[in-house]
Amino acid sequence: MRTVLIVDDHASFRAIARAALAERFTVVGEAVDGVEAVARATELRPDVVLVDVGLPGLDGFGVAAALATLDDPPQVVLTSSRDRRDLEPLIRDSPALGFVAKERLSATALGELLA
Amino acid sequence: MSIAARSAYGLSRHARPVAIGVAVCAAAAAIAGAVALTRGEARGQTTVLAVTTIVAGCTFVAGGIVAWLRRPANLTGPLMMVAGFLLFGTSMAQAQQSLPFTVGLVIGAVPAAVVAQLVLAFPDGRLHSRWERLVVGAAYVDVVVLQVAMLMFMGFEHINGCPCPDNLLLIRDDARIHSALMGSQRVLTVVVTAALAVLLARRWRAASAPLRRAIAPVLWTTAVTIVLLVAAELTTDAVSRGLAAASRIALATVPIAYLLGLFTARIARVSVSDLVVELGRLPGPGQLRIALARALRDPSLELAYWIPDLETYVGLDGQPVDVGAAPGRAVTVVEHGGRRVAALIHDPALGENPELLGAVGSAAGLALENERLQAELRAQLEELRDSRARIVEAGDIARRRLERNLHDGAQQRLVALSVALGLAERKLTTDAQQAAAMLQAARGELTVALEELREIARGLHPAILSRGLAVALEGVAERSPVPVQLHVDGGARPPPSVEAAAYYVVSEALTNVARYAHASAATVRVARDAGRLRVEVSDDGLGGATITKGSGLQGLRDRVEAIGGHLEVQSQHGRGTRVIAVLPLQHRETTAETELGDANRD
Repeated sequence: MRTVLIVDDHASFRAIARAALAERFTVVGEAVDGVEAVARATELRPDVVLVDVGLPGLDGFGVAAALATLDDPPQVVLTSSRDRRDLEPLIRDSPALGFVAKERLSATALGELLA
Repeated sequence: MSIAARSAYGLSRHARPVAIGVAVCAAAAAIAGAVALTRGEARGQTTVLAVTTIVAGCTFVAGGIVAWLRRPANLTGPLMMVAGFLLFGTSMAQAQQSLPFTVGLVIGAVPAAVVAQLVLAFPDGRLHSRWERLVVGAAYVDVVVLQVAMLMFMGFEHINGCPCPDNLLLIRDDARIHSALMGSQRVLTVVVTAALAVLLARRWRAASAPLRRAIAPVLWTTAVTIVLLVAAELTTDAVSRGLAAASRIALATVPIAYLLGLFTARIARVSVSDLVVELGRLPGPGQLRIALARALRDPSLELAYWIPDLETYVGLDGQPVDVGAAPGRAVTVVEHGGRRVAALIHDPALGENPELLGAVGSAAGLALENERLQAELRAQLEELRDSRARIVEAGDIARRRLERNLHDGAQQRLVALSVALGLAERKLTTDAQQAAAMLQAARGELTVALEELREIARGLHPAILSRGLAVALEGVAERSPVPVQLHVDGGARPPPSVEAAAYYVVSEALTNVARYAHASAATVRVARDAGRLRVEVSDDGLGGATITKGSGLQGLRDRVEAIGGHLEVQSQHGRGTRVIAVLPLQHRETTAETELGDANRD
């Protein structure tokens, strides 16, 4: 199974995401902000990083840009509870693989995006 | 019109009899002195010197009486009277008896020290610096201490013009000690005179134009007197005696110089009548200051207008002005029709001329009131602009906070709920038990989200207000962590905007009580009073609350004032806090308000 790092400042979402992804992924770690996300990703080398867009400090787009500079970078998937249309230009310019709306997050949805 | 700062007319009713008494005594002393002097011509005195001394004594006493009647609080008048009597007293040195002879010898030089004090203390009668006090002190040491010490060793057997009565102070007739003391007295006299000249020159250089006008006559007459005295000391025989007499004549003009200073106030009345004419045709704003500055002859004059609502002074531009006495400035408050109108910020020297300030203030009272109204209008416009900006800003901040609360709260919970439901849906077939547990957890999450949404909705607008202010306030009191006693008068319902303002006043005030006051109880009173709704929230906590920029209380005040009300915070340290809002019930409603109000009441 592919390994995942979950990055979100809301503990409730990290918990539910962990449960939802457990079917098809191994969750190897969590991070609560952008800086910690980059550190943990460098350390744990997950296959996938699921990162919330609205993080304190370095935001999700910043994390995606930072991770893209690593050798053998992980696949980054952005997520948010905000309307995707508001974020579209930023998502388009980001090196992230894609975007999944928070309320639609499931192991299947993430798997389809990565396929 | 009245000048609040001080009045020259505060004489006690005993003043006139006292003045007459002093004048009678002075006349008697002058006659006695004149008689004594004419008899004592032999002792080195001349008739000319005798007469000029008596004349100087008379002008000092007379000038002192007038000065004292005009400025009872000023020490100058009494000092001048003292100097006059001392001048009369010097004639006692011509007496045939030992006691008056000795007294006459002791006080012979004291008038010079008093005159030094007078000129340094002019015009307000006070010494202002350590140097001035030092010089005056040294002058008194010179003319009293050294004089007495010298007399203790001075016999008069060999002096020109004697035989004389006994010197009662004599211990031992010793020419060496006596001349040594006399020498040191001369040195000290020169030092004190030089120091006096330096101090007066420095005062002149530092003086503003009005102050120079006030001190010039006194300064020049004193300077001439000193120069003549010094010249008399340096010369001998007939020349010396002539210069001494001339110095007495110059001395006699010093009180006249002071009175001249007083009379300029009278002369200034002419400038007041000019002012009255000028006020009739003032072309525009700012001209009043120029006209008043001209009438008072103080180009540095500034005007500040009193705004009772803001309890502050403002300039003509409506901006607040600090009238707290700046160094080198004095403030005189002008009233018109019994109300404070403006403050004149002027040169302190003008304070010595309260009649002129009073006359100018009186003449300009109406014009000042007109400019005050303009300044008040500008200040109100300024305040209105500020409060409008604050209201818009407060709205933006509230919306930003709302978005944040929605995003971090209910929205996150609903997102989690959506994911959990998706998960439960898939588990339904494989693991029904786990799916049931997940659904149960989801319902708990949903309950919390609903509560959060209710809280936010209430923050947007207290829907419960549609049931009336009393019911809504009961809810607020219920949620307050500090026990609240609630008293709400019944009666017809106020307009919705008034109800909302009252609700927010109570709500915000109770939030502050819970957060900052450390109170054990709070009381809310809502009462009708003469067409107004009075809302009062008081607590027994720490106190010390103020309406600072950007605070919740500032927002409340803006809201209250926007509907024509008034908000006040009384909060002394340790005495609890009292927030009082007075809201007009006859507020004219906007259409939107009426529609919304009706909708609320459905």
